[in-house]
Amino acid sequence: MIHFRSALFLVIASSSLPLAAEVDFAHEVVPLIQKHCIECHTGDKAKGGLSMDTKALLLEADVIELGKPDKSLMIEVVMSDDPDEKMPPPEKKKVALNYKEIDVLKRWITAGVPWTDGFTFAKDRYEPPLKPRKVELPKGAAGANPIDLIIAEHFKKQGQKFPEPADNATFLRRVTADLNGLPPSAEALVKTASLSTFNKTQIVDELLANKEAYAVHWMTFWNDLLRNEYAGTGFITGGRKQVTAWLYPALLENKPYNTFVTELVAPDKNSAGFIDGIEWRGEVNASQTTAVQFSQNVSQVFMGINMKCASCHDSFVDRWTLKEAYGLAAIYSEKPLELTRCDKPTGEKAVAAWLYPELGQIDASKPKPERLRQLAGLITHPENGRMQRTLVNRLWNQMMGRGIVHPVDAMNTEPWSEDLLDLLANHLVESNYDMKAVLRLIVTSKIYQARADVIEDESKAYVFNGPVRKRMTAEQFIDSVRTVVGVWPKPDKNAFKVGGGQGGQLDVVMKTHGLQKWDDRPIRTAFVQRDSLQAVLGRPTRDQVVTSRPDQLTTLEAINLANGPELAGLITEGASEISKIGKPDDMINRVYLTALSRAATTSERDIAAQILGENPSPEQVQDFLWSVFMLPEFFYIN
Amino acid sequence: MNSENWYNESLPEQSRRNFMRMIGASTAATFLGGAPRLLGADDVKHPQATADACILLWMAGGMAAAETFDPKSYLPFEVGTQVEKIISTFPAIDTAVDHIKICKGLENIASVMDRATLIRSHVQADLGSILHSRHQYHWHTGYVPPQTVAAPHIGAWMAKVLGGRNEVMPAFINIGQRLEGFGESEEIKAFTTGGFFGSEFGPMNLPFPEEASKAVQPPSGMSADRFARRYKAMRELLKNSPRSEQLSDYHQESMLHSLDNAHRLLGSKEREAFDLTKEKKEVYDEYNTGRFGQGCLLARRLVENGARFVEVTTEYEPFLHWDTHENGHTTAEKMKNQIDRPIARLIKDLEERGLLDRTLVIVASEFSRDMMIEGVPGSTAKDQSRAKTDVIKEMKHYGLHRHFTGGSSVLIFGGGTKKGYLYGATADERPCLADKPVTIEDLHATIFTAMGISPKTVYDIEKRPFYATRDGHGKPVMDVFA
Repeated sequence: MIHFRSALFLVIASSSLPLAAEVDFAHEVVPLIQKHCIECHTGDKAKGGLSMDTKALLLEADVIELGKPDKSLMIEVVMSDDPDEKMPPPEKKKVALNYKEIDVLKRWITAGVPWTDGFTFAKDRYEPPLKPRKVELPKGAAGANPIDLIIAEHFKKQGQKFPEPADNATFLRRVTADLNGLPPSAEALVKTASLSTFNKTQIVDELLANKEAYAVHWMTFWNDLLRNEYAGTGFITGGRKQVTAWLYPALLENKPYNTFVTELVAPDKNSAGFIDGIEWRGEVNASQTTAVQFSQNVSQVFMGINMKCASCHDSFVDRWTLKEAYGLAAIYSEKPLELTRCDKPTGEKAVAAWLYPELGQIDASKPKPERLRQLAGLITHPENGRMQRTLVNRLWNQMMGRGIVHPVDAMNTEPWSEDLLDLLANHLVESNYDMKAVLRLIVTSKIYQARADVIEDESKAYVFNGPVRKRMTAEQFIDSVRTVVGVWPKPDKNAFKVGGGQGGQLDVVMKTHGLQKWDDRPIRTAFVQRDSLQAVLGRPTRDQVVTSRPDQLTTLEAINLANGPELAGLITEGASEISKIGKPDDMINRVYLTALSRAATTSERDIAAQILGENPSPEQVQDFLWSVFMLPEFFYIN
Repeated sequence: MNSENWYNESLPEQSRRNFMRMIGASTAATFLGGAPRLLGADDVKHPQATADACILLWMAGGMAAAETFDPKSYLPFEVGTQVEKIISTFPAIDTAVDHIKICKGLENIASVMDRATLIRSHVQADLGSILHSRHQYHWHTGYVPPQTVAAPHIGAWMAKVLGGRNEVMPAFINIGQRLEGFGESEEIKAFTTGGFFGSEFGPMNLPFPEEASKAVQPPSGMSADRFARRYKAMRELLKNSPRSEQLSDYHQESMLHSLDNAHRLLGSKEREAFDLTKEKKEVYDEYNTGRFGQGCLLARRLVENGARFVEVTTEYEPFLHWDTHENGHTTAEKMKNQIDRPIARLIKDLEERGLLDRTLVIVASEFSRDMMIEGVPGSTAKDQSRAKTDVIKEMKHYGLHRHFTGGSSVLIFGGGTKKGYLYGATADERPCLADKPVTIEDLHATIFTAMGISPKTVYDIEKRPFYATRDGHGKPVMDVFA
């Protein structure tokens, strides 16, 4: 048998043929064109009529004969010895292409100039300002919210009308969900009926003053951003820490944002979990060491900078370079760091450095804790407008459904209103970095209080036209269902665990509030470990930074809502509570009011009465509840 | 309002065009750079598909090639034998193909070897430390974790690029793996997803085949009638809502489409495919070697009814099943007993139904095993055998207990591949390294090519091009195609 296989081996071996060498546009071609050509052949400059901005423009210039490098002018000039003809021009003191680079170009031309669709060598024209900028407010009525002044001016220029206000109940449901993560209380709803008792500013102030409800709700947002979860990847090998014990009190006391950032970047043991990242067992790709995770996460979360591309190679999409990505990483690294390009060591040592030297620099000779303090000082530097713009844009996105800069992590993108962005950023600084003050300014504006925009075609270019509908987060949805039915979960033992590692999140809450026992306090979903219902509703695993949740329901998720045991169980439990109300009519009133913040119309009441029957069985109550919870009106914050 | 009316109306109809649009519309999570966007649509040429459906039979935990599809010098259990002299603990047996021998315990698969292509030179990366879930992540996504973005499972690529084969059946179904309740479950979840494509393209998870029908039935205790009535009630409330003007908003519209899709599947005849009790008893019995065997039967039923990609796993649980850190021989015997009959029957059933030619079936594992070598020669990976010894003293020493990444076997059936064909080999003597190595990206390129997906298919996510095979480098092993 062994002999036979050896013979076969030869037959198979001889049948393999060498494959033509291929070319990798992104990793081979782009860097070399960036290095040698773009200075003179992109954007406004198109020396000799050659622009390399796009594939079409390059081909138009007739310097390439597709598939035939030997007949292409491009190859001829880069190989030429004639100083008048040679590219790049020797008189510009540019280095000539080496034979390896020329080989890349030849292979590229042989392969027919493959090009990543939509890629351009042209620089993104918009360069966001770094420093804070004063905003000249348009004139308007005295006492008007400055946001509204800017937006009214914006609409005027665009020829758009300022949208109509939402009705009181819609506003109340929206603002309660946005600030506290819950549906409005019955008492608050009663007041919406009368003009004399309905005071929007007072409502806002009460919601912001509800420190606990506010802090629990914002745990969701910050846990996503800071990659903080109570269980998950990494804990198994001790390669991950929570920041819960730091985060919850920080939100409860509304810690000023500059202090908030400082304590995360230069942390104590309770807040170190964010910059320490996840230490994976075994060897990892160079771009996923904890030092490089630090570089990526700190720049993404606090500065809206995408350092993920640059942590493998100089970014093709913005200005950041491998050296800068590693400069940030070196601030964190205990050991000397070597720049690694696409997983291959370069031999160059990284020097701890910050991204905007015009604001100051890190002293690389200092020990790590000092370097981190210096970095925190630079991020929170009064002249670093990028930090506050990034934050206020995220807050606007949370409240209004879409960022002024969008996506929210690409802060190099042009905002649809620079004035609005800077107004909010300045407001943060002027209020002594008070996040609640920014939220208050937003939710007391007429534009926040306007009716939600109806966007029929999501593929069309976005034009700001007021608030965008938001899908409730998993935490908001479950907490809302629980509020309607009045059923809260039994505490999970693991949540009271003391001593770090997984779990222990409710122990943090108890310690923060000085509680001896949990008793029957409701446990909100933000403090429940991610389970399959929450997964279905879009709560991420948090092994990566997540800055926004999915906004649409998928089919598999819908299947789970239709027949999954978790929601069915919750509804069954809830139905037995609701059944205690007795009369169908009272049930309808209660459910419509608490779930949708309004009374049922006559025809809705008729249908609901049919579902419930005269003497509702538990099943009929369950079906009624499910039907209400599946209404888009419930599922979305309108 | 007429009290009779809405009860008797049919469920909302939906056009195929609408449905396809909804499936096509990316409902992915909004990521750092927005939703993924198809790149290079003009440059990427998809190959002509030779398969419409794909079944991956996953040998979770590291199936030793020398104990299954690549027999080597065999020595029986005997106290006092030098471990270094043993490569296989099972003797070779004949198969339906003259020049292909496999290991004892796989007699049924041996009988269908004339329908198979056997690749004996699959190799995996050495990730320094063996953590099964990391190698499984690599195998299922083509990317070594961690990644800066969530890499999609190969099933999600098929769901995204090809979509479902009909209007109701989910495109990507994952059978047999529990996702809760054991160590490394979080790590397993990390690749059991649609990745950056979003959950619309992620798996429908059916950990227990016998309970699969529950996934497409009304919640327990609810009759089909009541289930349909409940949905009608909801639609009726919706129709009468004073807020109906908001429904043209795409968020709300897409939510209703998803609910419709869900209820359509749950009310369809395809739903019965999930129900193993609908199968003839003798057929069920032949498949039923446990959850894996039931999973094979379920996979057949789902593919017959339009599933695109189905994975059936022997299930990963640390130190169990194929994860043999000690007692390897005894465990391998049990595992073969579990897989042999159902795999052979699945192939014969697909063939009988005329489906094998267009269904690609793959049997694979995250790496192989060896009695002596951890990783590959020269690896720094820590020795993880729990039965360390130079000389066999007791039964628990007898078996392949170390993780070997230098050469493993992949068995492929149907979907346009050759029949009775052997590709690649490993050396007869330790370290048994592969000749004509087939990497994960090349194997994926082969699978994608059969399915009509270019290995260079690329999406833009967070402004980074992300390819179906790593950086678009995967090259199909064209020799295996008929």
